[in-house]
Amino acid sequence: MFRVVTYSLSVVLFTFLLSNSALAQDGEKLFKANCASCHKLNKKLIGPALTGVQDRWEDQEALYAWIKNSQDYLKKNPDDSYAQELFVEYNKSVMTAQALSDAEVGAILDYIANPPEDKAAPAVAEGPVARAPAENYSTYWMLGLVVVLLIVVKVLSGVKGSLQSVKAKLNDEVLPEPKGPIEGLFEWMANNKRLTVAIVLVVLATLSVQGWFVVKSIGVYKGYAPEQPIKFSHKIHAGTNSIECGYCHHSAYKGKNAGIPSVNVCMNCHKGISEGKVDGTTEIAKIYEAAGWDAEQQAYTGVEKPIKWIRIHNLPDFAYFNHSQHVVVGKQKCQTCHGEVEEFGYPMKQHSDLTMGWCIDCHRETKVSMEGNEYYTKIHKELLERYKDEKIEAFTVEHIGGLECAKCHY
Amino acid sequence: MSDKKYWNSVDHLEEEPLFVEEAQKEFSEAVPVEDFLSKSNLSDTSASRRDFLKFMGFSIGAATLAACETPVVKSIPYVVKPEEVTPGVANWYASSFSKGGTFSSILVKTREGRPIFIKANDAYPEAMSGVTARVNASVIELYDDNRYQGPQKAGTTIGWSDVDTEISKKLAAIKEKGGTVKVVAESTSSPSTLATFAKFDEMFSTETEVEVYGEDALLKGTEMVKDSCVVTFDPINYNGVLSANKADFGKAVIPTYDFSKAKTIVSIDADFLGDWLDGVTYSKGYTQRRKPEGAWMSKHYQFETMMSMAGANADVRGAIKPSDVGNVAKMLHGAVAKLAGSAGASGSLSDDDNNIAAKVNDAAKDLWAAKGKCLVVCGSNDANIQQVVNGINNLLGNYNNTIRLERAYNVVQMNDSMVDLTKNMNSGIVDAVIFMDSNPVYSNAAFAAAVSKVGLKISLADRPDESSVLCDYVCPSHFFLEAWNDYQPYTGVFTMQQPAIRPLFKTRAAQESLLRWCGVNTSYYDFIKETWTSTAFAGADALTATNKWNSAVQSGVYMGAKMAPEADLAYSGDTGAAAGNIKSTTGEWEVKFYAKQSIGNGAQANNPHLQEMPDPISKVSWDNYVTMNPSDMEGKYEIRTAQATPANVVSVTVNGHTMELPVVALPGQKRGTIGIALGYGRTETGTAGKVGVNAYPALEMKDGVAVYSSSKVSIADAGKTYQIASVQTHHTMMDRKIVNETTLSTFKAVDKNDDVNGWNKDSKLADAFGKVRPIKELNLWADHAIEKGHRWGMSIDLNSCTGCGACVTACHIENNVPVVGKDEIRRTRSMFWLRIDRYFSSDMTKEKGKTDDVGVVSMYKQMENPSDYPQVVFQPVMCQHCNHAPCETVCPVAATTHSEEGLNQMTYNRCVGTRYCANNCPYKVRRFNWFNYNKDSKFTGINPAQNELQRMVLNPDVVVRSRGVIEKCSFCVQKIQSGKLTAKKAGRPVKDGDVVSACSEACPTNAIQFGDLNDSKSSVRANFDDDRSYFMAEEVGTQPNVAYMTKVRNTENLA
Repeated sequence: MFRVVTYSLSVVLFTFLLSNSALAQDGEKLFKANCASCHKLNKKLIGPALTGVQDRWEDQEALYAWIKNSQDYLKKNPDDSYAQELFVEYNKSVMTAQALSDAEVGAILDYIANPPEDKAAPAVAEGPVARAPAENYSTYWMLGLVVVLLIVVKVLSGVKGSLQSVKAKLNDEVLPEPKGPIEGLFEWMANNKRLTVAIVLVVLATLSVQGWFVVKSIGVYKGYAPEQPIKFSHKIHAGTNSIECGYCHHSAYKGKNAGIPSVNVCMNCHKGISEGKVDGTTEIAKIYEAAGWDAEQQAYTGVEKPIKWIRIHNLPDFAYFNHSQHVVVGKQKCQTCHGEVEEFGYPMKQHSDLTMGWCIDCHRETKVSMEGNEYYTKIHKELLERYKDEKIEAFTVEHIGGLECAKCHY
Repeated sequence: MSDKKYWNSVDHLEEEPLFVEEAQKEFSEAVPVEDFLSKSNLSDTSASRRDFLKFMGFSIGAATLAACETPVVKSIPYVVKPEEVTPGVANWYASSFSKGGTFSSILVKTREGRPIFIKANDAYPEAMSGVTARVNASVIELYDDNRYQGPQKAGTTIGWSDVDTEISKKLAAIKEKGGTVKVVAESTSSPSTLATFAKFDEMFSTETEVEVYGEDALLKGTEMVKDSCVVTFDPINYNGVLSANKADFGKAVIPTYDFSKAKTIVSIDADFLGDWLDGVTYSKGYTQRRKPEGAWMSKHYQFETMMSMAGANADVRGAIKPSDVGNVAKMLHGAVAKLAGSAGASGSLSDDDNNIAAKVNDAAKDLWAAKGKCLVVCGSNDANIQQVVNGINNLLGNYNNTIRLERAYNVVQMNDSMVDLTKNMNSGIVDAVIFMDSNPVYSNAAFAAAVSKVGLKISLADRPDESSVLCDYVCPSHFFLEAWNDYQPYTGVFTMQQPAIRPLFKTRAAQESLLRWCGVNTSYYDFIKETWTSTAFAGADALTATNKWNSAVQSGVYMGAKMAPEADLAYSGDTGAAAGNIKSTTGEWEVKFYAKQSIGNGAQANNPHLQEMPDPISKVSWDNYVTMNPSDMEGKYEIRTAQATPANVVSVTVNGHTMELPVVALPGQKRGTIGIALGYGRTETGTAGKVGVNAYPALEMKDGVAVYSSSKVSIADAGKTYQIASVQTHHTMMDRKIVNETTLSTFKAVDKNDDVNGWNKDSKLADAFGKVRPIKELNLWADHAIEKGHRWGMSIDLNSCTGCGACVTACHIENNVPVVGKDEIRRTRSMFWLRIDRYFSSDMTKEKGKTDDVGVVSMYKQMENPSDYPQVVFQPVMCQHCNHAPCETVCPVAATTHSEEGLNQMTYNRCVGTRYCANNCPYKVRRFNWFNYNKDSKFTGINPAQNELQRMVLNPDVVVRSRGVIEKCSFCVQKIQSGKLTAKKAGRPVKDGDVVSACSEACPTNAIQFGDLNDSKSSVRANFDDDRSYFMAEEVGTQPNVAYMTKVRNTENLA
């Protein structure tokens, strides 16, 4: 008997301890999972700010009931003027009934009463910090060094000249008329014809190669990363928070434009998320301004101000590009052309050349995924027939005419 | 093959030395360096070589610097994106077009909210759905910067509330004193507009005392009769038909004419394939029965003054004077009555040089043989003549068969007397006049003179016109693509006009303005909904009514109850009396006024695409002119009109009004007659519209409305010359198998490759060894792999092509083809990706030569002789996308290449403008950009893409070409690519109909078919394999991907 009692007691005690400790840890988690989309601690959101909520409710039991099912509470307690007014004050928005145990509610309330101290904001690690990269000063150092050396050469040659003239004076010799630097150079060149030719060739070749790259880079804006009206970080959205590209750029799956999301798409999340760790709070405020969202009143004012983004990827008018062709039919990942966007902070940059050669290279190499798409059934059969001598069985975009002019130019 | 010899202009026929010389050169002029250098008289200053080098150095430097600069392009997304809009994906909205007597149920293509293209609505009954050039080109008028941008008072801007207050006050004052308010409006079939008029009448109509007589003709007293405020006025009215039906059937309606059931068709001066009433519907029905493969092919007789589209397509055509229209009707009535065994009217022609009497008898026989399945139509505006025509149709039993009165064409209504209105205005009875969709100051001379007598003039026009500029107030209406409206084009068939864009300017629906002024403050949208709820949806509960309304808006069409023939619409006409009333006076010259397929009554004059579209017959653009038979011009006026030999200008006086117009030779025009187009000479409109001479003041008024022919004509040489902008002289195909034609009996009885009479022989040529082989086997180049994948092709049925030109404007709007203007066309620099060549034929044939035994030399000589009354064929020509394209082999920079899908690709940004390709093209379809048409000040007001507003009509999927490159038909490659993409995304093969070119989409008669030739089930494949198909200039060995279907005329027998 004793054993049974001890055993049961110990089990109960153990369970209690276990659950209690678990709940204490889970207060924050529970709050974030169940409450945070509508409540903040120190700020109104869809519902009221929750700090001091226990002080505002006289009857703690009523508070528990209210949290678990506010609509039920309102029905059962029509006399509770505080609760009734609260409901009206917040636009009669219904708080979802919460399937929480008393212990869990308690944990949440504990968390609200004693929020953990603000962790020191990680200064560099997480924020969108891609400021202008530290400039490479080695070139300047080299240049300075060259200048110093040149001065040394000049001084030394001056010293040498003085010494020579002193020596000549001492020996009563007549120095030959000093030659100008140009004449000297010509004389030197006349004496060293082969070397001169070699040097001229090397200089010409270097200039041509450099010139070629300069000319080739005209109109190529790889790495173009203009300042944007809002410091939007793909790293935070697509990286840290793993938001699908298509959530914002959904038209990439439908038509030719990937599209910059309209402000109402931003507001889907940012109605609730109004703060960031580094620049977030000020930048999110800009979204609110664009959308005409009054965060205080939690209402749209109707005064909208479209955001003027700076376009990064500018394809010329004479090139037709369709995103859905590549993303839906070609099953290409966004990253193929845009790079590891989820690693890019602010500002977003152009990852690829976007030149015709770059397009063509990819069309030459990329295999078309014909399987499972009935459009290609007949074409695949015909291609197998045509290339049976070459024994090609997987076909690239080139094989289906992807290098033809009128595929992109019309 | 037909043995007729075709020529495409009188110069070609006569082989003028200058013409022949020009014909040898594709580009008859050197590069117009001066034109683009002489902007500031640069050529007058003496620029030295040093200056030139400086300029060049500067430009190279500037270009390099410009190239280095990183462009900053803003990208501004929606704040709240509408759910239905996806950037880069087009939306289509159903709507309606109703203007100038033309009605179409349409689909409007919008991109990012901008309407950019119009095509026929497929939800509308197939037999009636189609668009004309005027309908599909109307989309650019939305972006006309000439439009009113808000209400105006005496030319200065004013707010809507102010204008409403002022006008309401003035109208109230008029009502107070019992004055008269008149609304001059175009005829409309819109139930809600008519309901608006009724509301307006309730408020402002006056009562007139009318004497009432009893049956004994004794005065019984007086009665007050309501006098409607609305004066229906169309520049081109059809009161003749309406009055005749009123007299014969008791109801003033335009019936439904069913050309698809008519085995014999006789048209007396009615261009039913062109501008006469519902031309699109008639063309559809007509061409359905013009297929020689069908169970039967209709036989078409046309008696007319000037060559019309209907005349060009006719099997038998007779040229008659306008004054003989009544006589032909009477003769036909007499002949048909004789066959029926009764006595009919009789008539004789004042002048018969075209064997009319015999043709009328043939027509009567064919009509009688197809009793109840034939049709006689007449274009006269004389009710008596129309009554005789009704009599013929009644004798033939056509009513309730091919003609149905219960399903009336409501787009055209009986016009009210302008003479009475003008009289009342002059005597000061009319206190206020409101212009709604009408411009009588331009199209009615007497009205224009009287309009200043009216105290209050209000215009509801959406853009300035001759009437609105004289108005005290302008309350601009929406453009139709911005507005709600409803129509009932045919009784029982309702359509919706749904806005495809929000109003661009501060405009308001005209009906809403009228409602506001008579105290109804609902929006016109709500008013339409109310009208529908109380009429079409009467009795339905709210939910059903809403559903019906939504589906009507979505599809654009609502079909009312099926109509049974009305018993009380029985014929009770008196042909004898009507025939007796027909008076015909002839003169030395007679004139016929007509409306061009492109310009119509002139309301759409400021539409550069329409101005540039050549007339189907004369092939002249940008002007009106006097058409005359070449034999009448012989020795007096210049018949060949080229750059060096401009047209003569004559001074034509009709009914006392004198106009100076150039003379254009037009075979087929009745000798002793001339034709003049209406709708030109606008003065108060944009740059593009101010061309030609206004011919409306020359119209004679009869029974209060205008008639469109006259014999009070005198012509004198004005001693001047004028260069017309004609497109066809410059497109010669010389003397090859271009249009193939045969007769129905030959087609039925003879094999196409028959040695003697073969009508579509395969082209064969002897090779180096003297062996005759098919052209296809004689190859210089390796073949493209055309049997694999897709191979896009087009077939054009010359039997179905009526020459209307809807494809031309549709092509231009889809592909951002620039309008180049009159001056450039004069210089042979037209920019048509798709043109319709028109060829006249000679009446001399090899068979005729043999039977008449005229001798070979004489026969060929006569073949070249112009027949004054020739037959006409049309041939749409665009890039033939040759599999062995001569252009591709001569391009030095590989800017034009061949795709594996059979396309002849043109890469503009690779083109350096050598124009070798154009010189080497046997079809002359490659056109050169001589200017930056979208920027050059020379084209301001002409090319519709010069400013921010006008540019909105451009198709964002097609690039705008720059100066110095060749461009041409691409087979709408952007539509091919998008059709393929749709199929790929859906994971299915491309179906026939997924990919349709703009011209094919626009063709109301389905003459142009487009599709994949490697798809065995496609309609193009079937057409390519048809016996009638042939390739143009096949002997050159180009192997085109465009096939033409031999034209078969029903000239021998009646199936």
